[in-house]
Amino acid sequence: MSSTNTSSDLSSEMEVDAFRRLFPLRFHERHLLESIRPDARPLGKARDTSLALGAVASAHGSALAKIGCTTMLAAIKMEVMTPTTESPDEGCIVIDFHMPPICSPIVRPGRPAEAAPVVSKQLSDTILSSGMIDLKELSLVSGKAAWMAYLDIYCLDADGALFDAALLSAVAAFSHLEIPVVSLNEDGRVVVVSEEDAGKLEKEAVNKEKRKLKLSTVSFSLTCILHKNYILADPTAEEESIMETLMTVVLDSSFQLVSLYKPGGPVLACTSAIQDCVALTRQRVKELQKILNEAISDMEVD
Amino acid sequence: MAGKSGTAPTTYSPSPSTQNKKRRPIFNDADWVRSDGRGFPQCRPAFLRTGAVNSASGSAYAEFGNTKVIVSVFGPRESKKAMMYSDVGRLNCNVSYTTFATPVRGQGSDNKEFSSILHKALEGAIILDSFPKTTVDVFALVLESGGSDLPVVISCASLALADAGIMMYDLVASVSVSCLGKNLVIDPISEEESYQDGSLMITCMPSRNEVTQLTVTGEWSTPKIHEAMELCLDACSKLGNIMRSCLKETASASQE
Repeated sequence: MSSTNTSSDLSSEMEVDAFRRLFPLRFHERHLLESIRPDARPLGKARDTSLALGAVASAHGSALAKIGCTTMLAAIKMEVMTPTTESPDEGCIVIDFHMPPICSPIVRPGRPAEAAPVVSKQLSDTILSSGMIDLKELSLVSGKAAWMAYLDIYCLDADGALFDAALLSAVAAFSHLEIPVVSLNEDGRVVVVSEEDAGKLEKEAVNKEKRKLKLSTVSFSLTCILHKNYILADPTAEEESIMETLMTVVLDSSFQLVSLYKPGGPVLACTSAIQDCVALTRQRVKELQKILNEAISDMEVD
Repeated sequence: MAGKSGTAPTTYSPSPSTQNKKRRPIFNDADWVRSDGRGFPQCRPAFLRTGAVNSASGSAYAEFGNTKVIVSVFGPRESKKAMMYSDVGRLNCNVSYTTFATPVRGQGSDNKEFSSILHKALEGAIILDSFPKTTVDVFALVLESGGSDLPVVISCASLALADAGIMMYDLVASVSVSCLGKNLVIDPISEEESYQDGSLMITCMPSRNEVTQLTVTGEWSTPKIHEAMELCLDACSKLGNIMRSCLKETASASQE
C-alpha cells in the first residue's frame, strides 16, 4: 500500500514520461478512470486500419495490413503437389507466421519470438477450420495434381494485436489471390500457360474457369484486454505488456463465432465480459468488412 | 511448418510452358536494350523513406525498381552478457529474405554471406567510440528481390542508422555494375545479374571520397575496371545526395 501512496505523491511533481516508465500500471489506470487511453482512444475503439492489396509483385496474392503501427505483409505463392491418397481431390494450405528481427526490439536473429508459433497455430486453426476455403477448389487433376498454397505472413512492425492484423492481411491476400492458368505437358508436369500462347496450345488449360478462390465466409477478429472490470479493445504493445489478460474473439461475416481464445492471465473472464467482447467484435467486423470491400474495389478500378 | 498433413509433400512451382530454351540475350549486339528500357549508365528510380518501423530506434525503407527492403536499427543497447568488455561499441548485422522474395519460393536464404558483407561495409563509417560497452543492431529484411539486393540493403542501412541518430563519419552509398560482354550496366536487375560475366560493387562515403568496400568478381580487364569504378563512384555520389535530401525532408517535416 505504501508504494502506491508514494507513487501518487510523486506523480504530482514528476514528469509524465518518467511517471509512465516508473509506474506503468498506475499511469494506465489513471487514464482508465477517465475512460480514455494514453493514445486518446476511448476504451472500446480500435486504431486506424488500412489495407492495400497486391503489395508483392512476385507473389500470386498479397496484402499489406496496418492496424495503428502494427504492420503485416501477407503473400501467397501457389505450387503444385501430388495430393495424398486419402484426399485425391483436395489441395493444401500451409500457413506460416514470421516475426523477423526488424519488427521488434525483443526479437533477435536466431532466436525466434515466443509469440510467432502461437499466432501461426491460431491462424491456421482459424483459417482451415472456419471453412473459409474449400480445399476441393485447389484440385487440378484428381489424384495427380493439386495446388499447395503457401501463405507467409511477415510482421514488419509489432505494436500489439498481432493476431488481428495477421488475420486481416491473410484474408485480404486470399481475396486478392489470382491462380495462374496451367496445363499438363507430355511428361505429366504442370506448366504455366502464358497469355499469348493460350490459343495455339494443343493441350487444354486445366483450370480456365477457376482463377479466383471462392471465399464462402470471411473471418475477422478483435483482441481485447481484460483489466479489473475494464475492457480495452485493440491493445498496443505497451498495453499488452502491462495488463496481461488478453481475449481474442473471431467472428465470420454473418457474426457466427469461429473461435475464442483466452489464454490464461490473472483476470478471469465472467460471462458478461465475454459478451461485451463479442459485442465489440461485432462492431469491429462491420468496420473491417467495409475496409476490405473498399480495398477490393480500389483494386478493380486500377 | 503449420501444414495440415504431417508428411509435407514435395512441391514445385509450375514453369512457363514455352520451354524453347530461353535464348540467351545477345548483349554484344549494338542495338541491345535493357528489358526495362534503361540506358546502360542509368540507375532504377529510387524511393527512400525513413521511419518505416515504429518500434525500432531508427528505420528506413528503400525501393529500387522491384527490389524492396526494410532496415531497422536497434540500440545502442546492452551487449550480450557473454561478450567481453569493450571500450568501443559493437555493430551487429543481419540480412534475411522473405520466403516470397524470389521467383521460386525460399531461395533467398542462399545469401548467407550478406550479413557479414553488410557489417564490413558499415563498420568503417560508424563512430564506434561514441557508444562504448554497447551494441547497435542493424537488421535488414528483403521483401522482394529484384536484383542488386546487397547495394540497396547497404544504402538503406546507412539511412536507418542516420535515422536512429547513430554517429557516422558520412552516409554510406553503394552501387553495383555488371559486365555483360562488352557492355557495362549499372544497377542490374536479377535477369542481368544471372547472365553477367563479372560484377563490381563499390560502397563509399560520397562526401569524404572514401571507399569502405570494393568487391570485384568474374572476368575483368584493367581499363574496364577503371571505367566501372568511375561509373559507380559517380552514381554513389548522386545516390548520396538523394539519401541526404530524404533525411532533410524528414527532419523539416518533424519540425513543423
